Amino acid sequence: MKHLLPKAMLFAACTALLLSGCGQSGTSGTQAAPASTDQIVIDTTFDMKTIDPGREFEPTAQMLVKAMYDNLLTYGDEDTSTVVPNLATYTANEELTEFTFTLQEGRVFSDGSPVTADDVVFSLTRLTGMKGNPSYLFDGVTVEKIDDMTVKLTTAAPHPALPVVLTAPPLAILNSKVVQANGGTVDENDAAEEWLNANSAGSGPYILESFDVRSQAVLVKNPNYNGPQTPTFEKVIFRNVEPATQKMNVERGDSQVALGLLGDMVSDLADTVKVDSVPSATTVFLIINTDPAISEVTAKPEFWKAVKSAIDYDGLLEVAGSGAIQSTGAVPAQFVGGLPESSRLKRDLEAAKTAAAAAGASGKTITLSYANDIDPTGVSLQTLAERLQVQLAEAGITVELAPAPFATEVDAYRDGKEQIGLWYWIPDYSEGNDYLPYSPGQWMGLRVNWQAGANPAIEALAAELLTTSDPAQRQAKFEEWGNLLLAEGPYVPLLQPGSNVVYSTSITGVYYSPTWIINAAALGVAS
Amino acid sequence: MPQPSVSPASGDNSDPALPSAGRQGRRSHAALLRYLGKRLVISVFLLFGITLVTFILTNLVPGDPVAAAVGQRAAEDPAVVAAFRAKYGLDLPLPQQYANYLARLVQFDLGTSWQTHNPVAKDLSTAIPATMEIAFAAIVCAAIIGVVFGAWSAYKRGKITDQVLRMVSLVGISVPTFWMAIVCFYVFYYRLGIAPGSGRLTPGVSAPPHVTGMYTVDALLAGDLRAFVDAAAHLSLPTLVLTLYTIGLLTRFSRTSFLEVLDSVYVRAAKAKGLPGRTVFFKYVLRAAAIPILTVVGLAFGSLLSGTVLVESIFSWPGLGSYAYQSASNLDLLAVMGVGLFVGVVYLSINLAIDIAYGFIDPRVRVG
Repeated sequence: MKHLLPKAMLFAACTALLLSGCGQSGTSGTQAAPASTDQIVIDTTFDMKTIDPGREFEPTAQMLVKAMYDNLLTYGDEDTSTVVPNLATYTANEELTEFTFTLQEGRVFSDGSPVTADDVVFSLTRLTGMKGNPSYLFDGVTVEKIDDMTVKLTTAAPHPALPVVLTAPPLAILNSKVVQANGGTVDENDAAEEWLNANSAGSGPYILESFDVRSQAVLVKNPNYNGPQTPTFEKVIFRNVEPATQKMNVERGDSQVALGLLGDMVSDLADTVKVDSVPSATTVFLIINTDPAISEVTAKPEFWKAVKSAIDYDGLLEVAGSGAIQSTGAVPAQFVGGLPESSRLKRDLEAAKTAAAAAGASGKTITLSYANDIDPTGVSLQTLAERLQVQLAEAGITVELAPAPFATEVDAYRDGKEQIGLWYWIPDYSEGNDYLPYSPGQWMGLRVNWQAGANPAIEALAAELLTTSDPAQRQAKFEEWGNLLLAEGPYVPLLQPGSNVVYSTSITGVYYSPTWIINAAALGVAS
Repeated sequence: MPQPSVSPASGDNSDPALPSAGRQGRRSHAALLRYLGKRLVISVFLLFGITLVTFILTNLVPGDPVAAAVGQRAAEDPAVVAAFRAKYGLDLPLPQQYANYLARLVQFDLGTSWQTHNPVAKDLSTAIPATMEIAFAAIVCAAIIGVVFGAWSAYKRGKITDQVLRMVSLVGISVPTFWMAIVCFYVFYYRLGIAPGSGRLTPGVSAPPHVTGMYTVDALLAGDLRAFVDAAAHLSLPTLVLTLYTIGLLTRFSRTSFLEVLDSVYVRAAKAKGLPGRTVFFKYVLRAAAIPILTVVGLAFGSLLSGTVLVESIFSWPGLGSYAYQSASNLDLLAVMGVGLFVGVVYLSINLAIDIAYGFIDPRVRVG
């Protein structure tokens, strides 16, 4: 044994050295961010299931699809409020029931074939026919080929939001011949998803090189791209990385952009990176059940008023971190239909106590339900719920927290069984129409059992908004609808979390979009 | 788990180092084959039981997978919900769903994940090798170092070396692995810059052609030295973290096991006869102490394969642990069942391998 142990220890030491020594050979971290245009690495937290444009519906997938596919219309990088032509220009009739699109001459897919009306008809029909997650976006719209370069979209009722809807990545235009050759159809029998998760079939600035839904997506420049954008990087690598690791990666220069940093992680960044903290378009809110069978207390409008008045909204922003703002209403402040800052709810403890007493809340315990395994846009619902519990207690409202995993809690939410629920909404498209289902009798209203007829004024305005085409009238009606919902509805808009985009000081063209987060083709290198 | 029986094979077999005779060896081989056959049959039934229990449990969980799998808005559309249920066979009665699962299983079809939209077998074929790569490296390092530490600690019982090693092993077991992972990543990558960043390869380095799914092995098979060095470098930190934890475990078990053997009569007799320390250790102590150590090594390896979710998260390692966690969070039932089945196979295989290894280590052990 006398001779054995030193040898064994030597072996152990060699093993340990081997382990640590491996690290030295692979060191790639450098303090200075690269200024090469060969590739750019974007770290984010993957939330997607697929990158088939007709099936995807998660923010990360929207970002990838945006880079590989073109839509008929889009938004500019710096101005995210004005719809601009992409593959086509359009005209509409006065009633906004017919939209005629003329495709731009010469635009081609990544295989060099021209973008035609057949591709538009196939792509949009496939979206609805497959019955996938985003199919509803095109409900009630029929698409018809006029000639090779012209298509007409027709709606039964005026559809003022249609141009905005057409910018959403699920409405991207696919190369119909290629997709059909790989199993694509315009009904539920479509079998092209697996192929589209390994290849791309678009006319966008990038094409897919490789994709692993759990770890990494690599895009390379589309050699045949002839659209209006000027992509800089030959290769764009999206990686699925935890927020804490993202921070270290971007500070050391292993990645150039980090999209998943939480609000409290961007205050002490290294000087090799900078951060853009802007309000995201995600809204976080409380729902209050109006059904006396669920809770006699929460069913009373006085209780809704008590909750709205009891909350210290500024206190919640401290929890949310950098970039967050208080919601002005149901619709995000930056969208058509958003309310001005003056509409924001304010804390009034005395009014809250009076209303709570009138609702009979004293001595009763109300359950606040939420998903505790999900942090929408970087905000912990668990932390928010704890803060809300304290604030409501100050107004005499006793709240019991009921956290649960998202997968199970979402059922209670959808079935309208929560007394109070803490939830969030990520926009489907950047327009107020997306939020009209908050009205009584609609699917969101039914989640708090707010039945049709419960508030005729709100319902009438919602119906009018679906068909009002004049922009000024739309904004005025939206404000009326939003203010009524704020005053008389069983919802409490809380905040819009911040979106923190951290990037190397050598990178330019980082513009936050509520729909596709960032546009990879706009990224460039500082001169 | 059927246990091997231990029975005296001959009158003087109190020495575990004695070899078996030729005829006895042939009989042993036949017995071993019978034993293997029996265990394999039992394993099939056990795996069937695992699928049944997993299927029942996953379907007992409150929550509708449709709500978790499709968007909230899409979940309000009966046509979308119906299409989803039809696509994944969720519109069928549960017994029929289970029967269909078994029918597919015999063709090695584990169904399609509604979290990744990939066949579960395809997901597992990338997740398992990713985890296997770090788990294998960690268990080899930990077993060598842990056994050495355990032996050293036992030989130096009560002395300062023993106290230090016991403290080290206690720290190894007690420190949460995710904390250790963050600290190691922060120190070795972020502060010192001597380890690579997250992921299995540096961005821009192409993955080697898929053969085993373990990048280091595949890179060597492809003769791609750059990819091998890069993959090995990325392997170092997660392996180090898992090794540190497992060393603690194995040191403690090894020490206990060695102490028991060192106190035995035949070891004291061997020492009294004046046998060299090396002979006593390798021929008497190590072999006798190896059985319980081997059991723990096997179980630790199984645990590494299925329980590295937090380490995988910190190092952005797309392995089995994170796949299992994501599947469970999203009520991705077929993926959960696929993982459950694989973990079941792993533990059954490890137990079988350990039981067989007992016989080779200790001739007194007879299978049957």
